[in-house]
Amino acid sequence: MANTLRLYLTCIRNTLEAAMCLQNFPCQEVERHNKPEVELKTSPELLLNPVLICRNEAEKCLIETSINSLRISLKVKQADELENILTKKFLRFLSMRAEAFQVLRRKPVQDIDKEISELKMSVNTRGRLVATEFLKQFL
Amino acid sequence: MTAIAVNQFAQSITCHAWGPDNSMVAFCPNNNEVHIYRLSQDKWEKVHVLEKHDQIVSGIDWSPRSNRIVTASHDRNSYVWNLEGSEWVPTLVILRLNRAALCVQWSPKENKFAVGSGAKTVCICYYEQENNWWVSKLIRKRHDSSVTSVAWHPNNILLATTSADGKCRIFSTFIKGVDTKDSRTGPSSDSKFGEQIVQLDLSFSWAFGVKWSPSGSTLAYVGHNSMIYFVDEIGPSPLAQNVAFRDLPLRDVLFVSERMVIGVGFDCNPMVFAADERGIWSFIRFLGERKTISSGSKYGSQFSEAFGKLYGQSKHGLSNDAVEPSRSRGGIHDNCINCILPLRQSGISTVMRFSTSGLDGKVVIWDLENQADLSEYI
Repeated sequence: MANTLRLYLTCIRNTLEAAMCLQNFPCQEVERHNKPEVELKTSPELLLNPVLICRNEAEKCLIETSINSLRISLKVKQADELENILTKKFLRFLSMRAEAFQVLRRKPVQDIDKEISELKMSVNTRGRLVATEFLKQFL
Repeated sequence: MTAIAVNQFAQSITCHAWGPDNSMVAFCPNNNEVHIYRLSQDKWEKVHVLEKHDQIVSGIDWSPRSNRIVTASHDRNSYVWNLEGSEWVPTLVILRLNRAALCVQWSPKENKFAVGSGAKTVCICYYEQENNWWVSKLIRKRHDSSVTSVAWHPNNILLATTSADGKCRIFSTFIKGVDTKDSRTGPSSDSKFGEQIVQLDLSFSWAFGVKWSPSGSTLAYVGHNSMIYFVDEIGPSPLAQNVAFRDLPLRDVLFVSERMVIGVGFDCNPMVFAADERGIWSFIRFLGERKTISSGSKYGSQFSEAFGKLYGQSKHGLSNDAVEPSRSRGGIHDNCINCILPLRQSGISTVMRFSTSGLDGKVVIWDLENQADLSEYI
């Protein structure tokens, strides 16, 4: 079991390393604004294909990237009530303590039921290095 | 070790430019100012701060012969700065843009400059003597997305642009009264302003960092799909070579000589590409040493314990070496390198030294003098 976990996490790590090549990019729709394009979705040429990494039916990771932001959605196995509670506590901790990033959205994304939408990072400075360090420990 | 100087100027640097004798450097420390530092007695000191823009300055270029700085910013404006006495005096350039300006470059003769913008247009600005101001002419209706980078051909007429739609386009920017029509052959015989000479659709992802070779016969640009493209014989039937590499994408390139290109990007390490005698380009090696990132810290154990609980494993949790450490990356720079510039010495046409700046706030000067395996390409 640990073996598949490692493969799953390595896959997520490698995808994230490639997806986190973000840069500062001003909005093409509104002047003088800088918006996360993964949220805006008005310019399709600035979005990349979303990648869904599945360990099994119950555990998935969806990574959506754009030119200046990316969204990671994680579905964690919740076999029983106890795990449910632990998950909620753990993710509450992450959402509140993730001071290294600018957490832009804490609510789940539509059309993905029972998923826990995690973090959306809008990069302007050194978010990439910090994010890699942070998630390395998480994974 | 090819990096001969590492200077930490700010927390993060957007772009930089060197003064005429390479003793002064201007950069934007990720805000709306431009800082100018001078090297005096081996120490860098801040001599000027140019504050006129309202938003982040995305492009700076310093013309070596006429000693003028042009800056372009996300606030849709561009200023040309002239040194009068000991102060830099700005002149606003009416770009007529309605979106951010992303990149700017002086032309080789320094009588024009090009600005690429998020409005999917390129502005070519020239100085009108009668009215004593800078006028801009726009190249519209050609790009499908933001123009990320511009580069002038040595003949001062052709301009190459890359865009976030993945295409590289070459335009003629002949302006009557500014450019002289001398006898030219080949692709530059189309001398109407804004005429698109060729459109290169090689990349399926965003394109950045276009540059011409010193003679103007080869063009290089990078795509976000970790590829670099080399194009010869610009004209109706160009010859293109794609070089794919395994590492993270590049952001900018520099032609050191006709046959050697340095690329910089998200790997935080300059990459060397060279062409052999047949003209086939390939990746040679990284320029700097690669650093291994150490893993493990107090944070790690808390998370891995919590994670271990989630996955029903033992209380001691996953040890740090259960997951492979991330690939070694970087070396001198800690974060993405987004700008590479030559440090020209007068009289020498090939570039032996160049500088890189990145999101980690460092400006690093590299020297190719002692690289034995690369000397055949210079």
